[in-house]
Amino acid sequence: MIIGEQKPFDEIWEMVKDHKQLLVFGCNTCVAVCHQGGNKEAEILASLLRMRATQEEIDIDIINGGIERQCEHPFFESAKDLLDKSEAVLSLACGIGVQFVAEKYMNTPVYPALNTTFLGDVKADGLYTEKCQACGDCVLGVTGGVCPVSRCCKRIFNGPCGGSSNGKCEISKDLDCAWQLVVDRLEALGKMDDYEKLAPVKDWSKDRAGGPRSFKLEDF
Amino acid sequence: MIGVNPERVEFYNLSAAQGPRWAEICTEFTEKIITMGPSPIWFALQKKKQSAETEKQFA
Repeated sequence: MIIGEQKPFDEIWEMVKDHKQLLVFGCNTCVAVCHQGGNKEAEILASLLRMRATQEEIDIDIINGGIERQCEHPFFESAKDLLDKSEAVLSLACGIGVQFVAEKYMNTPVYPALNTTFLGDVKADGLYTEKCQACGDCVLGVTGGVCPVSRCCKRIFNGPCGGSSNGKCEISKDLDCAWQLVVDRLEALGKMDDYEKLAPVKDWSKDRAGGPRSFKLEDF
Repeated sequence: MIGVNPERVEFYNLSAAQGPRWAEICTEFTEKIITMGPSPIWFALQKKKQSAETEKQFA
């Protein structure tokens, strides 16, 4: 899922403080799981902004709301009235949601409350780790289900490099060497033959190198 | 961040079985808050209310 982190409060405040009316708008799917951008967080952030506005003696009408997903048209139905009457929107969605709202409401300023950080999993309560970079050409089938694009610091396809030591990466002693994980997993699967195969040069045109990507289902 | 003394907020992790401890914390915290006096937000709200009333009187 998409992981995001709330921007520093002062940065958010600077973006929105000159408006007379503001909708703090949550996105209750991915970024709600990491407790940063859901409808509950929108309520908390709106409350913090109201307190700051009161302290600074600035009059802003701050309301909060949210929908399940800010990246799909049908979900906006329930918030149509709220959005129609808003002077500005502080979106707690990922970068996708912020842009989606901005495209839908051409004349409404939309601000991001989050920094969208990565595509990851929930490793433990409150711990999220990067697992995919959406490179567009998945190699997990031959790397034992461990992604060298997102998990190897050097994105090496025929690893490990010389910086791998005791299963850890030279970048940090807390970081697993992705290629050690690949080897461990291939060994467990009895597929070490795959490790010996030289990976071909990756087609990066399917990644961002080919520009913004899209995908269309012809039968829709 | 919002101009409130962090001393005014405390987090506790209690189970549903810790009722007496909960009561103890509430009492301690109430005493602490009383000693600290009203928050700056309370003062700001009072000021806002007063200026709104003054405006109303002159209107």
